[in-house]
Amino acid sequence: MTSRSLQPNYLLIGIWLAGLMLLGVLLAEVSGGWLHIPHWGTVMLILGLSTTKALLVALYYMHLESDRRLLAMIALAPLVLIILAVGVVFSSHLVRL
Amino acid sequence: MASTAHLEAQTATGVPNGKLGMWLFLASEVMFFTGLIAAYVVLRLSNPSWPGPEGHLSVPLGTLNTLILIGSSVTIVLALAASQRNALAATRGWLLLTIVLGASFLGIKGVEYSAKFAHEIFPSTNVFWSCYFVLTGFHGLHILGGLSFNLFVLSRTFHQTTWASQRQRLELAGLYWHFVDIVWIFLFPLLYLL
Repeated sequence: MTSRSLQPNYLLIGIWLAGLMLLGVLLAEVSGGWLHIPHWGTVMLILGLSTTKALLVALYYMHLESDRRLLAMIALAPLVLIILAVGVVFSSHLVRL
Repeated sequence: MASTAHLEAQTATGVPNGKLGMWLFLASEVMFFTGLIAAYVVLRLSNPSWPGPEGHLSVPLGTLNTLILIGSSVTIVLALAASQRNALAATRGWLLLTIVLGASFLGIKGVEYSAKFAHEIFPSTNVFWSCYFVLTGFHGLHILGGLSFNLFVLSRTFHQTTWASQRQRLELAGLYWHFVDIVWIFLFPLLYLL
């Protein structure tokens, strides 16, 4: 970490992580009941919440936000490969259909 | 004392070698878990009669376990912050709490596994349970690895002189621990909620 005097509020981020997780659970529980969201909408919302939580952990707990850019590039490299792989998998899936 | 600044000055990248190595290792781990998760998603999408957990997964227990793992991410980053303030006792305390929380996660996972086995649910039961046991099994092994790493780092804190030169390892242990937390952040909704 480059700056020790400007540390993020780790406890507050933890509370956000817990809150977002509980929101996801709540969403999954009520989406089939009184809250009429199509299933794909629930999936998108819950995975969006998971991605937000993962970003919070990576940026503030793993310090990617303040650390050297090289580390962020290393962290992003597999994501590029994942997008390519997912693209290939789903394009072949569509072709087969 | 080998400070972080001193270590950074010794490398061409400006990143300590241990930290660079850990990030490269984590990048490979991302690919490993993505392969498993992608297999799960493809199997699920291509199976019109997806069996699912059929009420055999406890959302409250999964939620509790997720809260525990999030809590352990908080405690290990607080251990690192304490270490940077040279507060050795606080470092030790937060790290010990991280280990207790990690062990609790595995304990609850063990309770869940034994409940499945008691109901005669095994990896061979159907495709959902194959995926469940593979994904949570590999994740559990990673938690076990993280616990061992954390225990090793904790053991170093009991020697004031060795800790001064080995405090960098706490940051590496923290990076690994946060990674297993991120993996669970995705596994929990995929297996328990959706």
